[in-house]
Amino acid sequence: MSTRPSYARLLPCLLVLSLLLPITALAASAGGSWEDPAGFLGRTLRFLSLRDPAVRFAVAGAALLGISCGLLGTFLVVRKLALVGDAVSHAVLPGVAAGFLWSQTKSPVAIFVGAVLAGLLGTLTVGWIRRTTRLKEDAALGLVLAGFYAVGICLVTMIQRLPTGNKSGIDKFLFGQAAAIGSGDLALMGVVTVLSILATTLAYKELLISSFDAAFARAIGLPVRLLHEALMLLLAFTIVSALQAVGVVLVSAMLITPAATAYLLTNRLHRMLILAAGLGLITGITGCFLSFLGNNLPTGPLIVVSATFLFGLAFLFSPQQGVVVRWARRRARRHRVARENTLKTLYHVLESRSFHGDDVSLGELAQRRRETLEDAAREAQALVRHRLARLHPDGQSLILTEAGRQRASELVRNHRLWELYLTHAADISADHVHEDAEKIEHVLGEEVVRKLELRLNYADTDPHGRRIPVPRAASRPNPEPGASRDPLPPAAP
Amino acid sequence: MSSLVPDFDVQRVLVTPWTSDATMNGWIVLMGFLVATTCGWVGQYLLLRRMALMGDALSHSILPGLAGAFLIASFLNPGTADGAGNARGATVMYLGALAAALVTTLLIHWLHTASRVKQDAAIGIVFSGLFALGVILITVFADQVDLDADCVLYGEIGTVGFTDYFQLSGRDVAPLPVARMAIVALLTFAWIQLFYKELLVSSFDPGLASSLGIRANWVHGVLMLWLSVVIVSAFESVGAILVVAMLIVPGATASLLSTSLPRIFSLIVLHAAISSLFGLHLALWLDCSIAGAMVVTGCGLFVLAWLSHVIRVRRARHASLPQDAPPGTLASPSVTPNPP
Amino acid sequence: MTPAPPPAPPLEIHDLTVAYDRRPVLWGIDVVVPAGKLVGIIGPNGAGKSTLIKVCMGLVPPASGWVKLFGDPLERAHRRVGYVPQRESVDWDFPVNVMDVVLMGRYGKLGWFRRPRREDREAARASLDKVGMLPYANRQIANLSGGQQQRVFLARALAQDSDLYFMDEPFAGVDAATEAAIITLLHELRDRGKTILVVHHDLPTARNYFDLLMLINMRLVGFGPTDQMFTTELLQKTYGGRLTILSEVAEAVREKGYP
Repeated sequence: MSTRPSYARLLPCLLVLSLLLPITALAASAGGSWEDPAGFLGRTLRFLSLRDPAVRFAVAGAALLGISCGLLGTFLVVRKLALVGDAVSHAVLPGVAAGFLWSQTKSPVAIFVGAVLAGLLGTLTVGWIRRTTRLKEDAALGLVLAGFYAVGICLVTMIQRLPTGNKSGIDKFLFGQAAAIGSGDLALMGVVTVLSILATTLAYKELLISSFDAAFARAIGLPVRLLHEALMLLLAFTIVSALQAVGVVLVSAMLITPAATAYLLTNRLHRMLILAAGLGLITGITGCFLSFLGNNLPTGPLIVVSATFLFGLAFLFSPQQGVVVRWARRRARRHRVARENTLKTLYHVLESRSFHGDDVSLGELAQRRRETLEDAAREAQALVRHRLARLHPDGQSLILTEAGRQRASELVRNHRLWELYLTHAADISADHVHEDAEKIEHVLGEEVVRKLELRLNYADTDPHGRRIPVPRAASRPNPEPGASRDPLPPAAP
Repeated sequence: MSSLVPDFDVQRVLVTPWTSDATMNGWIVLMGFLVATTCGWVGQYLLLRRMALMGDALSHSILPGLAGAFLIASFLNPGTADGAGNARGATVMYLGALAAALVTTLLIHWLHTASRVKQDAAIGIVFSGLFALGVILITVFADQVDLDADCVLYGEIGTVGFTDYFQLSGRDVAPLPVARMAIVALLTFAWIQLFYKELLVSSFDPGLASSLGIRANWVHGVLMLWLSVVIVSAFESVGAILVVAMLIVPGATASLLSTSLPRIFSLIVLHAAISSLFGLHLALWLDCSIAGAMVVTGCGLFVLAWLSHVIRVRRARHASLPQDAPPGTLASPSVTPNPP
Repeated sequence: MTPAPPPAPPLEIHDLTVAYDRRPVLWGIDVVVPAGKLVGIIGPNGAGKSTLIKVCMGLVPPASGWVKLFGDPLERAHRRVGYVPQRESVDWDFPVNVMDVVLMGRYGKLGWFRRPRREDREAARASLDKVGMLPYANRQIANLSGGQQQRVFLARALAQDSDLYFMDEPFAGVDAATEAAIITLLHELRDRGKTILVVHHDLPTARNYFDLLMLINMRLVGFGPTDQMFTTELLQKTYGGRLTILSEVAEAVREKGYP
């Protein structure tokens, strides 16, 4: 348990490393610079030196966006509002068009104001639909997303007909163009990023409590609704400032994916915020880098693909949540149970001949366990590998080691204690308790065993009249790594 | 500003479309109607299952499926798969879309069952990641893939080729896209008729469905696959994002007006008819995207239904809860506490 | 620490009617709860027990009538009122640990933008210790049993250090040891002059747990000392079939929009 936090801290670095290598190679080969390693290296150096102004602007923009999207996205993910970002990013389109119409130029300020107003109107409309009709959250989001977007499309096609409209480049808002980020856009992103950092640090505890337990937050007098609207306003800011770089369609990924990755890696909200912002930053820069390498690849999709790749890694290999990690843990547990069952059989064989002699032949083992000799040999090998038993020089019989003997008698004791407990305390008849004890014997910790013994007055025979062994408690070497760490916590008192 | 909204010229907006351009506009309205009806029917089940945004997800994640399918097709026999116009193109498109739908559905399901990521976040991650992948594929392999991300996203009903006709025993019956959409619509209708009760039960109560021997997972899978077929048939005329509107708006409008499922399905047809007809005229008047205008008209119908719903609720609430206490027979005698 | 006994009662409800989606769920509740009592709110499923305390906490708007806490409307009494919601009402996968949740109890007193200080942490630790959860302070909340989760919620309420508590089904789904620990704690709080209202649905244990009982079945059936409430007649009225007429009428109100 104590080694986990440092592992968790190391993980992001590992993830980034493992991300950079394959994707760099892929993008480089796609961009055609793979055959020319000097060119590849040269381009990398040129990117890292940030000599091109376009690269400087793109990297700065993507980094700022990564931070602000990561911070806000964290709250979207923990509040189960992940798709609100998607809805708002589509809903700003009519605002963008209206802002353009109003100023008749591609003025960032007018477009910003228009888009923020449209986004805010969108989130408010979702709220209104939810409160006044029976329609569910998903339907309300979809209605706003598609309805606003349709109005936007109509406006955009109307604008393109205007004499000024052709040069508007308004369609760039769909996919974004990181290379075209100007200093005005950058200033906007800077302001938005500072705002989101300030909001999440200053109002951290208010946001935390209203996200975790809205009823409690209202009960202690917090304006939960107002906080929600403020968060949505900030979200609209962020989305609008991101449009130039990644476009309407992909901004929702920048919000959700790094935050969801962080959600898989940590159990505390403040760490999740920092991690999400960090992942956003890293994927933003990675996306820019890949786009720079592979000449004309668009930046937005590359950022999103890097973020999704990182998410995939976290999903598979996160120390606590990872699918592969959990699969490996389950497999290790299954193997341990199998070994322990073999140990128990060895004990039973020894017991049946009143502990005369130490060695049990593989044939005896196979017969007891009703299996083939090959299976028995494999199980014997597993025991030998874990130093629970050693093979007799002739290779045909097993001798328990000290540790093996210890663990075997513990298991048998656990089994019989549990059977006794079930028949005594739970009034279950003696012929029904075996199956249950077969499972419980592997998970009983010493502490619970002490309690059971006390409860059963240190009885020495089980319901079937067999003796309950007493392992030497004084010398309790760890029978094998992981065996004493129970997969289940001891049952609550 | 005045140049943005053209004058309302009755001749241009209302008369000419049905005199000199009647055939073309007729096909456009029919196409819009078929798309809206089919999407609305399938979308109604999404609404019932509270997964309206799966439509959004699928409509985006189909892009890499299409790109991949075209790529493979051009790889297998170079120079023949040129776009969506011919029959081979259509087959390739449908196969790619089905594969994309399958992958999306399975990935989303896997993400939110095998980790603590919630379903909405899983949807967002999967579709945006796949979409980004699709855009990259199209850019990198621009020569082999005759597909444009803009065209997938936007689509425009006015530019759908209404020139190739579907022929039956030597006579022109309908333009190919319309004929294809009509077949999808008919299949959807038949499918809903055949599996009405299975769809209903598994949408309403998956637990009950499985106790009745209906495999809820299978129903879900089939629904998703069919959804992808409908989206692919629709997206060249309305674009991926407006498909979402066609999926949700008719059903949402109808369920504000009625609570009975059969009536909702007929209201969806009505909604589709009104929005495609009026949408065409709106687009002719404003000279803007026809598909966009159809959706805007549909949304206008939704707002009307919403307002009438709100007014009805408000009136009923006003009548039902007078400010004074409920009738005396029901009021309780207040008991004052005796401190023990 | 505790101010002099206030002249106003901790909770006063006057002629309160509540409706969800036009359907009335509580009719004409009139009640005055005296200070320093442990009050059980008892009634069958759907009787409006949780709704009653949600109205008191301002989480559900009343259709008519009013609620006063310590003689003030809720907005001015927030800091003197603690709340333990139902356990299912939150997402237990949320990225917080036990300590974070208990510290939330201090947020109301801290005010905007201020971070929890050392004494808040001390108070939170003390509350955790009281419910026997101090060893679990750094656990993620998803890794707790039902009883432990309930104890954490209770510790959060203790950290609030309020004079009046509302608890929504604190005994639902907890093990016997936790139930006993909670009731001991509630008695201790009561002895320190706090007023506690507990929604409870187990009739047999109610008799031993509470000083006063509030019997509710869409209306107030009775309110008074526990032994006086345990009469066949009152219990029949609370749980008996005759009252279904009230819910029928409520349904009619919803459908026809007319009382």
